Amino acid sequence: MYGRSQSRSTGLFLILCASMLVLAMVSEQSWAAGVRGVAKSALAPLESAMTQVAANVDRVTAGFGDVSALRTENQRLKAADEALRRQIVELNAAAKENATLRQALDFERSFGHRMVAAQVVGRGPDGFSRTLQIDRGTADGVQPGMIVTTGAGLVGRVREAGPHGAIVQTLGDPQSRVNVFLSKSGLQGTVTGGPAALQVEVEHSLGMTAVSGEWALTSGVGGGYPRGLVVGELASITHRPSSTSDQALVAWVNDPAGISLVLVITDFVPS
Amino acid sequence: MKRLLAVALMLATILVQVTWAPRLTIAGVFPNLALVAVIAVTWRSGVRSGMAWACVGGLMLDLTAPGPLGPHAVALLAGAYLTGFWTRNVDSESALHPMLAAAAGTAAYSILLVAADDTLGLPVPPLGVAMQLLVAASVYNAVLMPLALMLVRGHLHASPAARVSSA
Repeated sequence: MYGRSQSRSTGLFLILCASMLVLAMVSEQSWAAGVRGVAKSALAPLESAMTQVAANVDRVTAGFGDVSALRTENQRLKAADEALRRQIVELNAAAKENATLRQALDFERSFGHRMVAAQVVGRGPDGFSRTLQIDRGTADGVQPGMIVTTGAGLVGRVREAGPHGAIVQTLGDPQSRVNVFLSKSGLQGTVTGGPAALQVEVEHSLGMTAVSGEWALTSGVGGGYPRGLVVGELASITHRPSSTSDQALVAWVNDPAGISLVLVITDFVPS
Repeated sequence: MKRLLAVALMLATILVQVTWAPRLTIAGVFPNLALVAVIAVTWRSGVRSGMAWACVGGLMLDLTAPGPLGPHAVALLAGAYLTGFWTRNVDSESALHPMLAAAAGTAAYSILLVAADDTLGLPVPPLGVAMQLLVAASVYNAVLMPLALMLVRGHLHASPAARVSSA
């Protein structure tokens, strides 16, 4: 009896696994890309709503934190009106959002590329793929392969796009590779993603050494990214005299957990 | 009605996982709530229920991830199956076993996910990085397991006999 039930569940497990693998192979076909994109876009509005709820919760908790700090700092603020405090918190949040939007607008003007602004509505489901979900898709001109940035610097690349949503592979993804050059030494290297921080392999050059504090910018080598986008700052370097390259950690200019608005460059075609 | 409620609960879990959970990132990983839920359901009400939740949750996860539909469902199924195997062979009242099952289920999930991606020709992380993520995620999900069991206790009532018959 026990053995039969075990073999039944094993059979069910194998059938379900086989079904899911068949589904994976079918949905991977190019003719199924449209349906897959539509299906993936379907969750975007729900994720957007959930992200909004999360932002509101953050705002409220930030408000509580502010109130607590103010109480300890100054007894007079005990009499402050609750509504006024809430308004201050809301205004602070609005000002922060305004600053982000202004930064994005300035960046678009100075960078000279056409861009589409998009809201981040979700993240990848696990640590194996560091991705972001945005609320713009093919209906807004977003296509797979397009470069994604913020006013601060490079975020990643559009991996898949549905009609009203897209998935962006960030630089933090373990499969991500970006060719860069260093701002002071001019040395070339490749930035790769990782579980905790970005890493860069800096190629040795006669008489030149990479130093902490240098900025890593996209080199344009390989044609995958336009030249000159800021990736991050060298945080620590491990010199390897016996090797042809040094290894360094890069402090990414974008905090992946804090990105809420991104810009998709729509007029740069990666080669 | 009960099934619809289960689907809605799983959808809510997935949405929390892809919107809120990344704020709790430690050592490069954040809670895999869908996997923890599947393991908790399997532990409480048997491997068949767990595999049903795994299919639904896995397909929803696939909708939020790059690539085809299916790999996350296969990975969650492995987690459910392994947990079902575990529950049949250990003292289900022990507090330690669900945590160990969660750690083992996470390891199975991670290996299957990377293997499925590799089989389908999708990019996979380097072995060292994958191992680091696997270990960190196993510990994280194991720590969350008692809480998950407390949450599902109120919703799912299954005696050990029912669990065996379900298996």
